[in-house]
Amino acid sequence: MRSIPLLLSCVAAVSQLCSAELNLSHPLLSKQVLPSTFKPPQVFKNANLVRTTNLDKEYVRETVNVIIENIDSKPQSEYYLPFESEVISRVGGFEVKDKKSPEKGSFKVEVVEFDSRSPTEFYLIHLPTPLAPKSQLTLSISYSILAAATPVPAQIAQTDKQYLQYTFSAFTPSAYLTQKQKTKVKFPSADVPDYTTLPADTNAEGKVDPQKQGSTFTYGPYNDIPAGVTELVSARYEFTKPLTRASLLERDIEVSHWGGNLATEERYWLSNRGASLKNHFSRSEWQRQQYMNPPTSALKALPFPLHAGVLNPYFTDDIGNVSTSRFRSTPREAHLEIKPRYPVFGGWKYSFRVGWDADLKNYLRKLSAGSGDSYVLKVPFLEGPRIPEGIEYERVTVRIVLPEGAVNVKYSTPVPLIGAETGLHKTFMDTLGRTTLTLHALNVVDEWRERELIITYDYPWTAGLRKPVVLTLGLFAVFVTAWVVGSLDTSIKAKKAA
Amino acid sequence: MATTDDGQFLKKVSGRNTRGLLRVIILCLIAGAAVSSRLFSVIRFESIIHEFDPWFNFRATKYLVQNGFYSFWDWFDDRTWHPLGRVTGGTLYPGLMVTSGIIYHLLRFLALPVDIRNICVLLAPGFSGLTALATYLLTSEMVTSPSAGLLAAAFMGITPGYISRSVAGSYDNEAIAIFLLVFTFYLWIKAVKLGSMFWGALTALFYGYMVSAWGGYVFITNLLPLHAFVLICMGRYSPRLYVSYCSWYALGTLASMQIPFVGFLPIRSSEHMSALGVFGLLQLVGFVEWVRTQLPNKQFQTLLRALVLVVFVVALGALVLLTFSGVIAPWTGRFYSLWDTGYAKIHIPIIASVSEHQPTAWPAFFFDLNMMIWLFPAGVYMCFKTLTDEQVFIVIYAVLASYFAGVMVRLMLTLTPIVCVAAAMAFSQILDTYLDTKTPKADAKTNESPADSAKVAAAAVLPDSLRSTRTPYIGIYSYASKITVIGASAIYLLLFVLHCTWVTSNAYSSPSVVLASRLPDGSQHIIDDYREAYYWLRQNTPENAKIMSWWDYGYQIGGMADRPTLVDNNTWNNTHIATVGKAMSSREEVSYPIMRQHEVDYVLVVFGGLLRYSGDDINKFLWMVRIAEGIWPEEVKERDFFTPRGEYRVDDQATPTMRNSLMYKMSYYNYNSLFPAGQAEDRVRGAKLPAEGPQLSTVEEAFTSENWIIRIYKVKDLDNFGRDHQSAVAFDHGHKKKRASKKKGPRVLRVE
Repeated sequence: MRSIPLLLSCVAAVSQLCSAELNLSHPLLSKQVLPSTFKPPQVFKNANLVRTTNLDKEYVRETVNVIIENIDSKPQSEYYLPFESEVISRVGGFEVKDKKSPEKGSFKVEVVEFDSRSPTEFYLIHLPTPLAPKSQLTLSISYSILAAATPVPAQIAQTDKQYLQYTFSAFTPSAYLTQKQKTKVKFPSADVPDYTTLPADTNAEGKVDPQKQGSTFTYGPYNDIPAGVTELVSARYEFTKPLTRASLLERDIEVSHWGGNLATEERYWLSNRGASLKNHFSRSEWQRQQYMNPPTSALKALPFPLHAGVLNPYFTDDIGNVSTSRFRSTPREAHLEIKPRYPVFGGWKYSFRVGWDADLKNYLRKLSAGSGDSYVLKVPFLEGPRIPEGIEYERVTVRIVLPEGAVNVKYSTPVPLIGAETGLHKTFMDTLGRTTLTLHALNVVDEWRERELIITYDYPWTAGLRKPVVLTLGLFAVFVTAWVVGSLDTSIKAKKAA
Repeated sequence: MATTDDGQFLKKVSGRNTRGLLRVIILCLIAGAAVSSRLFSVIRFESIIHEFDPWFNFRATKYLVQNGFYSFWDWFDDRTWHPLGRVTGGTLYPGLMVTSGIIYHLLRFLALPVDIRNICVLLAPGFSGLTALATYLLTSEMVTSPSAGLLAAAFMGITPGYISRSVAGSYDNEAIAIFLLVFTFYLWIKAVKLGSMFWGALTALFYGYMVSAWGGYVFITNLLPLHAFVLICMGRYSPRLYVSYCSWYALGTLASMQIPFVGFLPIRSSEHMSALGVFGLLQLVGFVEWVRTQLPNKQFQTLLRALVLVVFVVALGALVLLTFSGVIAPWTGRFYSLWDTGYAKIHIPIIASVSEHQPTAWPAFFFDLNMMIWLFPAGVYMCFKTLTDEQVFIVIYAVLASYFAGVMVRLMLTLTPIVCVAAAMAFSQILDTYLDTKTPKADAKTNESPADSAKVAAAAVLPDSLRSTRTPYIGIYSYASKITVIGASAIYLLLFVLHCTWVTSNAYSSPSVVLASRLPDGSQHIIDDYREAYYWLRQNTPENAKIMSWWDYGYQIGGMADRPTLVDNNTWNNTHIATVGKAMSSREEVSYPIMRQHEVDYVLVVFGGLLRYSGDDINKFLWMVRIAEGIWPEEVKERDFFTPRGEYRVDDQATPTMRNSLMYKMSYYNYNSLFPAGQAEDRVRGAKLPAEGPQLSTVEEAFTSENWIIRIYKVKDLDNFGRDHQSAVAFDHGHKKKRASKKKGPRVLRVE
């Protein structure tokens, strides 16, 4: 979906030769590649734009509500949204809806690639129906930026408060003229020691910029900001919570028709992006502190809210079981609370795996239509821990292991993917190997928990008999061999006797 | 090996003998019981590798599985003994790892993805089942009664003396070695009985496997020649003995030399000389026997005398000459300590510091063997009575193993099989005599008069007088005596099972990496400090950060934290260990250059003061001092760590040397802050600590585990301003505390 360095270097090489034919040279790609001189056609203007930046979580959530107006003479359907190339690689969960009718679902979006030297790249939003000239449409664009806020100072003492700094443009980056706009920044608390103030004359109302209201700051409103104009501001706010980042999450979901079981295993490579310890870790200070339980930048526990009916959870890491976990299961919910072996402070890492079983009945249905051997499986794309400050996942790989002999695998999910492949996975006395579907996604945040993944596949009943038949034959062969070998007479003595 | 066993059983079953079938079922049940009684730790804790050495074996197995056999053979490990490294492939017994590797690949081939850790954890219980079978076979060779074999198998399956080294997770060489030991002995007995080259070659094959698996193979190397020698001395030389011994020795020696770690030892070291000597002796005896058939008696006598003299002189001279010229290696220290238990304490503290090299305490025999310890002599006595060739073996084995088990705790393991065999023979004799319901009764009623039967009944109470009376028939007639004896035996057996289970569950099933305690509400609480700290190291330190710790933890750091260590449980380089001992027991100014020279990044100490964990470094500290003193007697002195009254103290009475040592400082650094002022207490040594805690200048605390068992310190880099660390720390403190700087400032001025 987004910048693959190899691809970019290819593109750069080709673009030097003939930039005009770039689109043709990669006809199979879903993304467009544009020359560095590209400027989006000025066919829209933003009549009114309100951007809300939410800093509650450790990643930045932005929602842009914008009224766009077609100023061209023809109907237009392609709206560009610019990002800095350094930021766009950390943008995840990009969704666009019609504000007036969100039930229609999200619009098709794609990243348009640039030449790697360009500082700006675009998201291209396809409006489902072209917008007629002079008419308006309200877009609701939401996305999250991962690893956007960095701890300043980068080193703090164990009991200190942690402050994050977030730098952004007070004028919402846009490829079009924006007539009226403002930006609301929601901080987690009112403790914002440093922030940029803009001169009052840029402000349309001539007021102090930004306007403070509790923990919400408002930059703007600003009038008639041309396309591409930015005004960098930054704010430093208190955030004494862990900045949990999973550089990789591998999630395996194994379907067993024979056992009626859905086994899930998740492997995490976590780290805390927060401020590292100025001095080293002091256990005595930590223990004294625990009585008060103050906010801390260390990650102490990860609660996993699981589906009801989950069984046999486990929590291990590279060197064995971690005993500091608790599991509570009621008919209505199941709750797994795990604690890392040590508090994960800023700059520290912790990798582990958790897994559990569940009854397949609750996730799998046999389709009555069709050949009668079709199944549909509905599982969450992401489960994982839920903590108030949020978790970001740099890379997520979901692997669904279907029974041996499953064919005709199809999937659908609202999560933007960068790749999907099917393969075989050989385990537990398989002869062919089980069909697997592997899905890759980048820049996922924990808000996307419970987004569904729906998989349909055909599983003929004869495929289910493969293993018992093979095993029976194998054992039979062993017995026959043993009998034949046992009845051979190799002794020298016996021949003499005979 | 399993297939050959199966072959035996299959033959027996094929006779459609219900007894045979029953025997197979019983043996399978015994094997099942042997396996399951070793699973306490898996059920209570988890599937985890135990203690220290198994962690190295586990790491080596993983290396073997990942890199293949040839790179394992050539493995040079630069992550241990930094900066020396270790030629691991050539300095280990590969049998254990290769066995697990084969099982792993076999299961992979069958598409059964079993984790290598689980294979390693369950290898010892699995092999204990095989050991029970091997014991059955060995015992069955000794006596005609089939019950003796089954009893021996059952004893072997559950006796704590063997369980101590073969619980699940105890992934050590002994895990497979005891099976190989017993099975090799079985094959040897079989070979001697049959005089068969085939069985002799099989003995050699399993002997070779044993050599590849455990250093204790020397026990076989000496026991088999001794058996042969005793048989010759008893005038029981036979072609059977000649064939079996020669085929075993020739093939077995060749097989053992294939192991790089053993190499040419079988022909060069003193421990192996007896086997060579007996081999030569057998040739001579064989030659003499042949000559005897050729020559008249008188000439033969003269020839024999001359021959014996010449051979003795030549052989002894050659041995002495070769030993002095260094071709034959002299006895190793560990070997000397077998003869003189005080030897190690004086000469090699590193051997003495290992608890399993200590002489065995008497209660340990009862603890590990229970009732078998008093059945054992009875069984040996029974062997004396008949004294066939194979029973001579039992007697020799019993005598030798009893001695060794008394010298070293660890060698209890070699005693256990023979105790099981002998005890089972004695016990089955009792059962066979008293459980016989029919025959004596019927005979008594038909043959004997009532007066005679009364006489016999009286004689049963006094068995010694029975032998003197010339009753033609001996037997037990009274039901009462039968029931009494059988009942007592049954109770003994039951108590034995209870004892074994209790010992296994309480003494031998703790992984020692993980500690368990009980919370007030009775639920189990796991104390997992070791893994907490090791995992912290693994995740949050650079890949090549060197960890200095006492050698006990070397293998665990290598296995769990995956970081290079300075010394580990291999203990091949005493000087290197002494260097670490010196660094730990010296003042910081002395230790810091040592640590810099060895590129140490982190120092790890074990401290049990908070949790009453007695196996900590302060309690082991004197060994570090002693070992360091062995190399640097001028710089480290054990005496300085004792108070003038000869006490080893850590409180405010502790000697200055003690309180300034790096180990002491690292153990108690910042420990005061857990307690109200002046109340700090070391719970494991029951000592009240000085009000002022130690100050560190060259290292800084990096991590301390939840219960303070593991403390990790980072060695500071050189000071940026070129100061020594003491003055840098003093400066920092002075900066914070004005009073200190005031005191120091004027004094300097006045001097100038």
